[in-house]
Amino acid sequence: MNRKKGDKGFESPRPYKLTHQVVCINNINFQRKSVVGYVELTIFPTVANLNRIKLNSKQCRIYRVRVNDLEAAFIYNDPTLEVCHHESKQRNLNYFSNAYAAAVSAVDPDAGNGELCIKVPSELWKHVDELKVLKVHINFSLDQPKGGLHFVVPNMEGSMAERGAHVFSCGYQNSTRFWFPCVDSYSELCTWKLEYTVDAAMVAVSNGDLVETVYTHDMRKKTFHYMLTIPTAASNISLAIGPFEILVDPYMHEVTHFCLPQLLPLLKHTTSYLHEVFEFYEEILTCRYPYSCFKTVFIDEAYVEVAAYASMSIFSTNLLHSAMIIDETPLTRRCLAQALAQQFFGCFISRMSWSDEWVLKGISGYIYGLWMKKTFGVNEYRHWIKQELDQIVAYELKTGGVLLHPIFGGGKEKDNPASHLHFSIKHPHTLSWEYYTMFQCKAHLVMRLIENRISMEFMLQVFNKLLSLASTASSQKFQSHMWSQMLVSTSGFLKSISNVSGKDIQPLIKQWVDQSGVVKFYGSFAFNRKRNVLELEIKQDYTSPGTQKYVGPLKVTVQELDGSFNHTLQIEENSLKHDIPCHSKSRRNKKKKIPLMNGEEVDMDLSAMDADSPLLWIRIDPDMSVLRKVEFEQADFMWQYQLRYERDVVAQEEAILALEKFPTPASRLALTDILEQEQCFYRVRMMACFCLAKIANSMVSTWTGPPAMKSLFTRMFCCKTCPNIVKTNNFMNFQSYFLQKTMPVAMALLRDVHNLCPKEVLMFILDLIKYNDNRKNKFSDNYYRAELIDALANSVTPAVSVNNEVRTLDNLNPDVRLILEEITRFLNMEKLLPSYRHTITVSCLKAIRVLQKNGHVPSDPALFKSYAEYGHFVDVRIAALEAVVDYTKVDRSYEELQWLLTMVQNDPVPYIRHKILDMLTKNPPFTKNMESPLCNEALVDQLWKLMNSGTSHDWRLRCGAVDLYFTLFGLSRPSCLPLPELGLVLNLKEKKAVLNPTIIPESVANNQEPVNNTNNHGQLVGFQNTFSNSQEEEEIDMDTVHDSQAFIYHHLNMLERPSTPGKEQSSGEVNMHPVSAAPLSVFSKESNSSKHSDHHHHHHHEHKKKKKKHKHKHKHKHKHDNKEKEKDPFAFSNSPASARSIRSPSLSD
Amino acid sequence: GSKLASTPADNYYLARRRTLQVVVSSLLTEAGFESAEKAAVETLTEMLQSYISEIGRSAKSYCEHTARTQPTLSDIVVTLVEMGFNVETLPAYAKRSQRMVITAPPVTNQPVTPKALTAGQNKPHPSHIPGHFPEFPDPHTYIKTPTYREPVSDYQVLREKAASQRRDVERALTRFMAKTGETQSLFKDDVSTFPLIAARPFTVPYLTALLPSELEMQQMEETDSSEQDDQTDTENLPLHMSTDDSGPEKENASVLQQNNSLSGSRNGEENLIDNPYLRPVKKPKIRRKK
Repeated sequence: MNRKKGDKGFESPRPYKLTHQVVCINNINFQRKSVVGYVELTIFPTVANLNRIKLNSKQCRIYRVRVNDLEAAFIYNDPTLEVCHHESKQRNLNYFSNAYAAAVSAVDPDAGNGELCIKVPSELWKHVDELKVLKVHINFSLDQPKGGLHFVVPNMEGSMAERGAHVFSCGYQNSTRFWFPCVDSYSELCTWKLEYTVDAAMVAVSNGDLVETVYTHDMRKKTFHYMLTIPTAASNISLAIGPFEILVDPYMHEVTHFCLPQLLPLLKHTTSYLHEVFEFYEEILTCRYPYSCFKTVFIDEAYVEVAAYASMSIFSTNLLHSAMIIDETPLTRRCLAQALAQQFFGCFISRMSWSDEWVLKGISGYIYGLWMKKTFGVNEYRHWIKQELDQIVAYELKTGGVLLHPIFGGGKEKDNPASHLHFSIKHPHTLSWEYYTMFQCKAHLVMRLIENRISMEFMLQVFNKLLSLASTASSQKFQSHMWSQMLVSTSGFLKSISNVSGKDIQPLIKQWVDQSGVVKFYGSFAFNRKRNVLELEIKQDYTSPGTQKYVGPLKVTVQELDGSFNHTLQIEENSLKHDIPCHSKSRRNKKKKIPLMNGEEVDMDLSAMDADSPLLWIRIDPDMSVLRKVEFEQADFMWQYQLRYERDVVAQEEAILALEKFPTPASRLALTDILEQEQCFYRVRMMACFCLAKIANSMVSTWTGPPAMKSLFTRMFCCKTCPNIVKTNNFMNFQSYFLQKTMPVAMALLRDVHNLCPKEVLMFILDLIKYNDNRKNKFSDNYYRAELIDALANSVTPAVSVNNEVRTLDNLNPDVRLILEEITRFLNMEKLLPSYRHTITVSCLKAIRVLQKNGHVPSDPALFKSYAEYGHFVDVRIAALEAVVDYTKVDRSYEELQWLLTMVQNDPVPYIRHKILDMLTKNPPFTKNMESPLCNEALVDQLWKLMNSGTSHDWRLRCGAVDLYFTLFGLSRPSCLPLPELGLVLNLKEKKAVLNPTIIPESVANNQEPVNNTNNHGQLVGFQNTFSNSQEEEEIDMDTVHDSQAFIYHHLNMLERPSTPGKEQSSGEVNMHPVSAAPLSVFSKESNSSKHSDHHHHHHHEHKKKKKKHKHKHKHKHKHDNKEKEKDPFAFSNSPASARSIRSPSLSD
Repeated sequence: GSKLASTPADNYYLARRRTLQVVVSSLLTEAGFESAEKAAVETLTEMLQSYISEIGRSAKSYCEHTARTQPTLSDIVVTLVEMGFNVETLPAYAKRSQRMVITAPPVTNQPVTPKALTAGQNKPHPSHIPGHFPEFPDPHTYIKTPTYREPVSDYQVLREKAASQRRDVERALTRFMAKTGETQSLFKDDVSTFPLIAARPFTVPYLTALLPSELEMQQMEETDSSEQDDQTDTENLPLHMSTDDSGPEKENASVLQQNNSLSGSRNGEENLIDNPYLRPVKKPKIRRKK
């Protein structure tokens, strides 16, 4: 919104500039899960008539606000707590999404809004007019936060430190407002002073430099003082407190690692690699790490695996591993590298607005990719790019597109650039998590496309330029106007590119950044012998959702007998056919070696190819320089040649995929050869295993010899003297380790003519389990054993059931009995000797579900439900929950669905809550076009409530609920709801409800009824902008306007002093409750809060008993089915904001 | 009362005793007694038997003293002399006129000493050992006989054994655990065929999930000591596909060396590392009250 103003400067949406903020948390109570503290913001007004300051704050109970030591009135209004207020019988998602976007917008800091509105005391107006500094001091507390700060308090004996209790900040995008009042924007930078007083046995890790640690007077606690002198956005502020073990990095003493008690050996091993990542980034960016220190903290119950904040990163403790673990090592290193890349782009360099997010995600993802290429090699890198490309293509085709750089005109929903989606992409907080993941994926792929265009050298120069600009700006301590240089914008980035490279990349940006969709190519060819020309036809599908038309150059590589040749075709509007002249005459000289693209010359057996054609294989866009999907037709032998001789792993993978459709002995041979070739990239070989299994199944009637891969496995991994026994494990060679793990899994997919897994294969796998011997191995075999169980599960085929008999032990299939025997033993052994990350339990649970699903074992969710309980390792819980989700779908169990939804609301771990919704969305019990007994009105109500108000503490969770609602019911009114009886009346009502959020975005807030959320963060004040709208005036929510006199007084007050000019001025005006200078110390102490609320009740009653009672009675009728929500109408009076309502009468008197 | 003899050995001794009684009786008759109480005869018989036994025992001792096995006449003489008997009177006494002739005791079989169990053929003496030397004892008393079978060196069998042994131990152990604790079952009608130890939540679930078990730690130590060199080599190698760019790696090496020296010095003085988290916590300043 503000970016378009000018390329050079950043125009703040706020009428003031924040320069410094103090956050002081002086008490943290783990038992009660509460936090008490204050913040102090130093701000400079930028307009003369600044009369109110809008800040972000959620969940916080605000006791007192002072501006320059004068008591200030404030109101607290958060329309996102409950998005739709009127009992909407319509219940359609379109309506909700619009209302939700409007609600988020109404508190969006990037539009200058906020939940907390503070009135500048009139005594200071003169001061403000001189644009002099204001210090806003806010006392707040947090009680049992449901989002933003996460407490982990194990339920056991001992002190909090002994228990390993800890707390950390978390959230999706800008979520700092959940734990302290701030300007929760990535574009408002300031310097920070952070103070945390914690138990003496604990450590508080936060941003910036730890200046000193001081004991409190009783010596029981200590205070950690942090200074962050690099201007940083509040959204990049974080905190972790716990009895951490401290490890100073032996290579870089400025880097400190923290982990939970007992895990120090793992921490040492896990972080031993980090310095290399530092060196790599500093080298390619030719720029030092911007902060003077770096901290990594590994915590339990992480919100996301990796969260990057200014000068520190918070990781999941589950990334820690010992030297014995193979599979986790590259994954963890990738997480570390990702976190570090975001330190440069994301934390140090921040963004101007949400629509510039793609630049940051793109750059950090891109340099992370460079690190991957260096660390894991080109093959791994290309494989990763291909994987990401496939993912984004699949997602865009499924959903209709991902837009990197959305531009919004006027904020009207009709201009919504992403109308194909069921959510708004205008704000990060309305975004589906999956969309955001894909957004990040596309961002780094587009950066790679830019690199392809301007070269890596220029690309790195651009990054270096951005960084050096930012670091110059950051050192300008007292020139806060310079700080906007630390913000990146799309236009600034593009300008930088054109300055450095001198190239025009505008078409590329237009195609991939300003526009959503991917390209879908269909290619086929014919060889014209007479002209010796390859006639290539390339069609595009640009009408399906998620696609776009591509016009421009396209590289095609043709491998001929005489060598490999690149051709650049111009894809134009109407030309489908492209003639490519061939270099070679059809083969004459059979003996000649064939040169490949990389200069290598190889002997090939050319007997398979067409005698008339010199073409070996053709590739379209081999460098993946278009975000595309290519479906290309060429003969099976060409795919086989491509698989065997093309050196690019992406080409090999494409060939493998294509060969699935050609189940011939020649394909079999090509795949087997690849499998055996040790120089071949291990992932390609793994992929070949699965393809071979598919081919073998298609060829089942003509297959000769032992089951596919069996003799190969025997040769590679079994003893020479006794081929039925596998060698004792030695996983020193990781490539063969991965192959050894994968082959049995693929083999188990083999089927005989009766569509059963051949007995020989099952026995083979059982023998692998039986003879598995890891005693001499220096690596753990937990992943290997887990995959052997996966293999057992893969071998299971549906039970032959005679007229639906009940599954009992007696009619158990003997093969299944053997499988069950193994699973039982493995699962039980896990209790005695648990494996790393309980991989074996996870595989066992999955296998049991497979047995249930195939009718061998009675379908029963009880086992899974016990493993899904809080207290099990997170991987185990997810596996168990996945089984329950699947059960819910297959057995259409309402009870299980309810159980899952309860867990979504109540589970202590945010990740689990998110994951359940995610799994339900991916494997839904029913979809919108389906008849299901589960689809009923109560469920609609329940889900509606969940996304409307039940998930206001976690953006990600709310968006997850929206996704699920969409999957189950679609965009329009759920079909299971009864038709509205009084259509006309309801329509009228609805019409109004629909109109409100679109015409006056803030009117959502206007119509707000008191929301009595379970916790006390529902502080609402209905606010009306003017007296002009008579209809609305009638609807003034009197329960929130505590005193009509005061109300009028404030409006008069407002009229006296015009509000701060701002873009959003027209929409919502806020009425203020000035606060008397009465002593407030009572309220700043937690212990007194209950007393205060009693006290408060009293007043409350007197003032608005009548109206309120009436109103609530009315509501009861509407919501009689909704007990939970219907609380004591005065419950909210306990809320912090209400502290002012006591005072208001005294003032108005 | 006398017992009825039953075994041949008893018969043999009884016969000798009876002869002695006859001898005593005739000597008494010779001395002029017409009758004697039974007890007196018995006592005298006992005395005579003791006397004769003593002569035999002493004579045997004398002969063995001179390294012989069979007593000779001189042994008897020495014995009698030693016992205070005037040997010279013996020939005259033997030829006295009124002596009575007593019939020889009835021939009874020498009691057979039960033979020790013989196992195998006793070895004959080698030529250099005189024939009078005792025979070799039974072979089983000195020949070592193998008490175990040939050690199994077949790899396949070994693996087979190790596998089934482990499986048996595991099964027994888990079944025991399942029997003694709470279980879950996959079949409603049957809880014993596939008993699953009940899932129990942990208070701190990540510890068991992340830390290597003691068994694994032990294993790791074992393999580490033997393959330490391999470890450092292969740690990164298989993951590094491209090993040809030696530039950065060289730098790493030099950095490593530098840091090694640093970390070396760290052992001595922890304080050399200036990390704020290692600094001592300050005492509170005396602040004026707010």
